[in-house]
Amino acid sequence: MSSLITERRVISMIILLLTVGLVVSTFGLQFADLGGAFSPMFFPRIILIILMGLAVLNVVVDVISTPSKTPIQLGPVLMIAAAFVAYVLVLVPLGYFISSVGVGIVILLALGVRNPLQIIAIPVVGAGSLVLLFNHVLKMPLPVSPFVWWL
Amino acid sequence: MIQSIPEAMSLILTFEGLLVLTFGTMMGIVLGALPGIGSTVAVAMILPFTLTMSQAPAILLLLAIYAGSVYGGSISAILINTPGTPQSAATCLDGYPMAQRGEAGKALGWATMASVIGGLTSAVVLVFAAPQLAAFALNFGPIETFALILLGLTCIVSVSEGSLIKGLIAGFIGIFLSTVGGDPITGEARFTFGQFQLIAGFNLLAVVIGVFALSEVLTRAAALRDDGTQLVGFNGIVLPKLHEWKGRIKGLVKSVLIGNGIGVLPGTGAATAAFISYAEARRSAPTRENFGKGEPDGLIASEAANNSVTGGAMVPTLALGIPGDAITAVMLATLTLHGVTPGVRLMTENPVLMAAIFSGFFVINLMLLPLGMLVSRMAAPILRIKEAYMLVMISLLCTVGVFFVRRNPFDLLVMAGAGIFGFILRRQSYPMAPLVIGMVLGPTLEISLRQGLIITDGSFSAFFVGHPIAAVLVIAAAGMLSLPLIRALRTRKSA
Repeated sequence: MSSLITERRVISMIILLLTVGLVVSTFGLQFADLGGAFSPMFFPRIILIILMGLAVLNVVVDVISTPSKTPIQLGPVLMIAAAFVAYVLVLVPLGYFISSVGVGIVILLALGVRNPLQIIAIPVVGAGSLVLLFNHVLKMPLPVSPFVWWL
Repeated sequence: MIQSIPEAMSLILTFEGLLVLTFGTMMGIVLGALPGIGSTVAVAMILPFTLTMSQAPAILLLLAIYAGSVYGGSISAILINTPGTPQSAATCLDGYPMAQRGEAGKALGWATMASVIGGLTSAVVLVFAAPQLAAFALNFGPIETFALILLGLTCIVSVSEGSLIKGLIAGFIGIFLSTVGGDPITGEARFTFGQFQLIAGFNLLAVVIGVFALSEVLTRAAALRDDGTQLVGFNGIVLPKLHEWKGRIKGLVKSVLIGNGIGVLPGTGAATAAFISYAEARRSAPTRENFGKGEPDGLIASEAANNSVTGGAMVPTLALGIPGDAITAVMLATLTLHGVTPGVRLMTENPVLMAAIFSGFFVINLMLLPLGMLVSRMAAPILRIKEAYMLVMISLLCTVGVFFVRRNPFDLLVMAGAGIFGFILRRQSYPMAPLVIGMVLGPTLEISLRQGLIITDGSFSAFFVGHPIAAVLVIAAAGMLSLPLIRALRTRKSA
């Protein structure tokens, strides 16, 4: 059973289900009924129906073919992905420098860097030089910190 | 447009113009040399720096990054046996063996000369082919444009490494993403699901940076590569002497022709050109038995071809607004960001800008020789930088790039989402270039199809009656789509 459910097959099924869902949604949306090529759903519907056909073919191919496993270090990926989503959410309220240093530290830790000096210095120097360049040299301000005006 | 070249040169040969070209070429070489960044990410990363610049210098800077990065890829290919860009993969085959036997400087010398010659010829192709193609496109109405975009989309077939179905799925996802937001004819919101930020659609650059750069960070984190980069001894470039060229000119000319020919075809790209050229040189060169063991003819074949592609690939991009691959798709997006709409009107309405692009491209390729010699010495130690540090910098620069396009925090969220989505798809062998090509060409495909159907009263067959250009383009598109099928049938027959 577990050999039937592979990462590849699950992704193919998700793509198929999402596409079917979108195709169905095109029939439920309400637009001014102009008909034919004037309809806002005319083009997306064609694209989604073709995509659905391809997704069905893809599922068939992935079910028939022998699954190949690509090893993955899931921990670092999840850490970086979660940190990045949090980063883009706090970037404007906290400012570019503080949030960038935070995400930089998480990325370095996730990638196995353990030297505390390097963990602090690399994000501080990287984010600091970009803030200096954009905020103070090019005068194209990145989001600034609510705590200090120069960062 | 040729008449505008003196005016364009006066723009380029200023302190600011030369500074932009020098800085861009140097940056391009360094970014191209860093494995994993590649030309597409390099151009996307530098984009925010151009937003305060006027049109011509901004576009020239990005062109310099593009040309410089294609050459820069050869530095890491030769010194650490890791191609900085996919285009330089064939360079490893003979470049690294030369470096291992203590001829790294000489190998980079051959690579530099071949790249410069390849780049210069491609600049000539760009100057002469782009206006001709654009003039031909004057005959195009919505129906011809639809057929042309359809042909452009078939390049998805050639950029789909591995599985054609997965490539097509990625391409159609890209086209679908381009439909999110306001309808181009009625203005009604589509697929926004109540999110007002989606009314303007997905920001192309946020998606591009997400699926290429951010997903690369996640891919590398998933693989956790070894950081033990071994640099071979290198004390600067040694240019080949005149007598050493004896017997190699024919191969060089052949590689340049292959590169230029492949460059103008949408979807083939520099990596394909380099490998085809290498295979041809290996087949026909008198030194063929030395290929793979450090033969300069192999290096010349790869580097002359991949740099010859750069100008050629810009021909359909500038003349028709059709990108041939991911890098030209990003270039097209950046041109649009700077208020430049590629196509025939660009040639007629803004001849000075076009002349500046053409002349600038020529100057950039001339500059590759001295700058390549200078920067390769500086870039060599950079190759020792730990991958983790580089990934932090890529992440921080991606954010800056996306933020400056519209200063919209929602775009950052789109980038993060695209990065995770891109990582998941890439792990399952879905290529990302078709997604970007689909997203770039999608809006024109939609508007031309719908306008065409409105003109013909909804009759799709009327598209081709009385529209011979459209008919030929659609037949060519069908031919391109059926090529992999024919190839597969042939392979089965011969087996």
